[in-house]
Order: sequence, then structure tokens, then C-alpha cells
Amino acid sequence: MPFMRFGNSRYWLFQVVGWGLFALIFLFVGFVFDKLDTNYYYRLFLFIGLGLLLTHFMRWVIRRANVLIKPIQEQIVNLVIITFIFGLLLGISETYSQDIFNLSLTNAKELIFKRLLDNSFHSFVYLFMWNCIYFIYHYIEKSRRQQLDALKLEALIKELELKTIKAHINPHFIFNSLNSIRALVDENPERARKAITELSNILRSSMQAEKSETVTLEKELYIVKDYLALENMRFEDRLRIEYKVDEETLNQPVPPMMLQTLVENAIKHGISRQINGGVVRVISEFKNNFHELAVQNTGRLNGKVNGEGFGISSTNDRLSLLYGNKAKFEIRQATPTLVEAKVSIPSETILR
Amino acid sequence: MRAIIIDDERLARAELKKLLQDFPEVEVIDEAANAEEGIAKIESQHPDLIFLDIQMPGKTGFDMLSELERTPQVIFTTAYDEFALKAFEVNALDYLLKPVEPKRLADAIQKLQPGESREIKHETENVNNSILHENDQVFVKDGERCWFVKLGDIRLFESVGNYAKVFFGTNKPLILKSLNALEERLDEKFFFRANRKHIVNLRMIEKIEPYFNGGLLLELKGGEKIEVSRRQTVKFKEMMSL
Repeated sequence: MPFMRFGNSRYWLFQVVGWGLFALIFLFVGFVFDKLDTNYYYRLFLFIGLGLLLTHFMRWVIRRANVLIKPIQEQIVNLVIITFIFGLLLGISETYSQDIFNLSLTNAKELIFKRLLDNSFHSFVYLFMWNCIYFIYHYIEKSRRQQLDALKLEALIKELELKTIKAHINPHFIFNSLNSIRALVDENPERARKAITELSNILRSSMQAEKSETVTLEKELYIVKDYLALENMRFEDRLRIEYKVDEETLNQPVPPMMLQTLVENAIKHGISRQINGGVVRVISEFKNNFHELAVQNTGRLNGKVNGEGFGISSTNDRLSLLYGNKAKFEIRQATPTLVEAKVSIPSETILR
Repeated sequence: MRAIIIDDERLARAELKKLLQDFPEVEVIDEAANAEEGIAKIESQHPDLIFLDIQMPGKTGFDMLSELERTPQVIFTTAYDEFALKAFEVNALDYLLKPVEPKRLADAIQKLQPGESREIKHETENVNNSILHENDQVFVKDGERCWFVKLGDIRLFESVGNYAKVFFGTNKPLILKSLNALEERLDEKFFFRANRKHIVNLRMIEKIEPYFNGGLLLELKGGEKIEVSRRQTVKFKEMMSL
């Protein structure tokens, strides 16, 4: 029962305060009309005791019957029926326990029917009030929670959209590449021309990526190769690039810009922090019905990897949107000097 | 002006050097590819100016600066870095965005104060145990905020464990240096060890009052009140009576 989650302590607080107020009012009334005697006290506390017991049982019935998740009209009908039944129950138990403890005001047995009716009627009224409070409380709580959920969902959607857009191309990379290209214009015009082509390919595909759900690995690899070529121009001999791609996997559909994001992170968190640079290795292969895409880079994982960067969370989000829980993504220290980010996509589902 | 370019990318250094060819007043004497190399070259060659990239492998440009005893004038260069840009905005430090626009470079160079009589200082200085002068600037980083502070603008150093709190303007950031280490580096004509916990800038004293036990109470321009220990009071009076 999702919206019954409030701590039991709050329920008991309401119970105690409610019945406490009830007792105070009747003590006050008894005082004003000068009816306070032991009999009055006993009957009052007997009623409160029975009331507490029965309302607690009533709450159990309400929860058991899932009344609170029914449509509002049905809830009202249920409320009236339940109140009626429990009013009767409370009235009967009050009458009989008064007899047992000899607390009845009249001793005449003939009047038992009238007493039952009287007691049931005021029980019904009090229980009706109890239920009104109970239902209104939950009604308010429920709508408040719904509002909150709606807001959270909205925020999540916005964040996701923002992340996917941002994750595509990092401005730091674009400006650094442009700077390198400018230096190359004099030094190596041929390479500069090539670099401009590579950069425009990347920009173009990053703009198209949002439109399609998946692309073939072959297409994704074009971008990754252009991207790494540009990074190689920046880092020069500090960056070594290796590809280990199974030809068979080239036709596999993959989420666009995902491998690209992994490679970008391998550079950002790995190579760019190594004074002597290192290697970035792109691996694609089939393993036990899974298509495994991995990016390895020189470096060490530091403790705070979990979900911190948007690369990790956006990759996780995209995979779970596309494949539910069938796809897997992990980052680990593969060897003492190599960090590996690996995505496993079920090849059966996508071979269809 | 003698300058060193510090950037991890060779092409970025080459590009900046090429741009600087149009500025005969700036002479690029060396280059460094990371912070360690940068520190070594700055300390051995004492450039007047450095061009400094923020994001470098190992240490960032900011980290590098806070390790320097005294910083030359700095022009930051960065491609795009939200954190760095924020730091710049807060403190109005001068920075160039890569690729650098020649006009912006000209403005930045123009804004630099001409290296005031640095040459003379270098001659008299013992390089290994150099005393910091009041015109020397230090780079102070406190979380996200950072400052270049002229020593002459600092009123007070206060010892806080292994750190020292630096009072200047309305700021009092912490730096990772002990008071004793600072005392050795500071020019004793301007900075005075008042007691175990404080070093004060003599030029920032507003009022001097006698205090218990023959000590003194100094009131600084920022309103801080610092007690001079009895032993140091003797020394203080000697210095002041000159």
C-alpha cells in the first residue's frame, strides 16, 4: 500500500491526541453539568478503550480492503458502510460491557434495545468523525505526494534531455581542436585540412544523433575514429590508439554517440591526466550472446566514479530506456594500469 | 618582458608563440608541458610573465600557482572550462580563451604592469633563499575563489594549525604554510612577528597602545587587535626607534 507509508508513529499520535481531546471534552461537559462521579469516569474510559480498539481494527479493515486506492465515489460509499458496521459493533460492545461492569444508568433489562440503539447512534457519529479525519488526511497526503512526483518526473526528464545534449560534444574539445588546427595551418596544411573534415563530421553527427534510436556500429565507429584522430592531433605522441573490432559486429545497432561518450571520457579522465599519456583501446566483440563494446584507457579509477560524471549516468539511462535491465554497463580497473568501461548489449534482442 | 608558456599541448604552445611574434616586448624564453616542469623553470629562470593553461595532466594551473613562492605576472589560457571561468569572473583575473584572438592578446599584454625594477632585484637576490618583497605577489586559493595578492596589501598572517590565515581587504583565506616558514621568507623591514600566532605588516598599523605586563597592543587598519608579547615588544621598540 504505497500511500500508507507514513510512519506508524504519526498514526498513533493522531489516535492519542484525538481520543485525548475526546476525553477532555467529556470531562469538561461532565464538570459543567455536574455529572462527574466514578460511574461517569468509568463509562467514559470504557468507551475510549473500546473506541481505540475498534478504530484500530477498522483501520486494519480499511487497509486490508484497499479502500484508499478506489475511486472517490466508491471510497465515500465504503466509508459510510464501514462506519455503520463499526458504529453498530461499538454500540453493542459498549452496551454489553456496561452490563458486565455494572455501569449502566438504568437497570431495566427491557430497555436494552433502546440502549443498543442509543449507543450505536453516538458510536456511529464519533466513528464518522474519526473516519473523516482519516480519509481527509490521506486524501491531502496523496495529492501532495502526486504533486511532488509530477515535479520530480519533470525535473528528471529535463535533466535527461540536457545530459544527452551535453554529453554529445564537449565544448572544451571543440575549442581545443580549433586551436590545434590553427597551429597546423602553417605547420602542416594537409593535416589541418583533414582535421577540419574530421571536426565537421563529428559536429554533423552529433546534431543528427538525437533523431535516431540506434545506429550501426560501423557508423558510430566513423565518428569515434574521427574524434580520436583529432585528439591524436592534440596529444600527439601522448596518445596511442588501438582498435580491436570484430568485423561481424559492425552491423550491430548501438545507441548513437554512446561509444563516443565512452571514448571521450577515456580521454578526459584518463589520458589528459597522465603526464606521459597512454593508450586508448576500442574493443567490439560477441561473447555469450552479448555484444560487448569496451573502451580501455591508461589510468587509475579514483574512488568517486559511481554515477558522478554525466557520462556514466547518461549511458546507464540510455541503456535502460532501450533494453530494460537486459543491458549492462560497468567501469572497472581491468589491470593495474588500465581502466575499462564496458557495455554489454544482448545480441539476440537486437538481431531480430 | 621575459615569458614562459606553460601548456600540455605542443600545438597550443606553438600557436601562442607564433601569435607573440607580433609583440616584440614579449620574449618567450622557454616552454613547459606540465606543472612540475613549469615550477622548475619559473624558479630557475624568474620570468616576468607566464602564459598558463588551466587543465594540465597531474596538477592544474591553479595548483601550480599556489605552490610558487612568488608568482610572476600571469595570463591564463583555457579552451573552455566552466570552473575556471567562474574563478576568473569572481576575481577579474586576466584570461585568454583558446583559440586566442590577437586583439584580446594585445589588450592583455597592454594591461600588464611593466616589470618594475625587477632586474635590479635579481642582482642583489640570493636565488636559493630569496626574501619576498612587498611588491611581490602571491597566488592564494581558497576553495573556488582565488586571488593574486601583493604582499604589501596583506595586513596580517594568523597561525591556524598547519595553516596560515591571510588577512587582506575583506578576505581572510587559508594557505597551507606554517607561520615559521612564512617568517623566514618575509622581509623583516615590513613584517614583524608580534607573538607566537601572528605576523603583522608594520605599514598597516593604525594605533599602538601599552598593554599588560609591559606588552603592546597593535590595532591594524582592518580593525584587528594584536597583542605583542613582552619579548617581542623590546625588539619592536628597538626597530621603531631607529
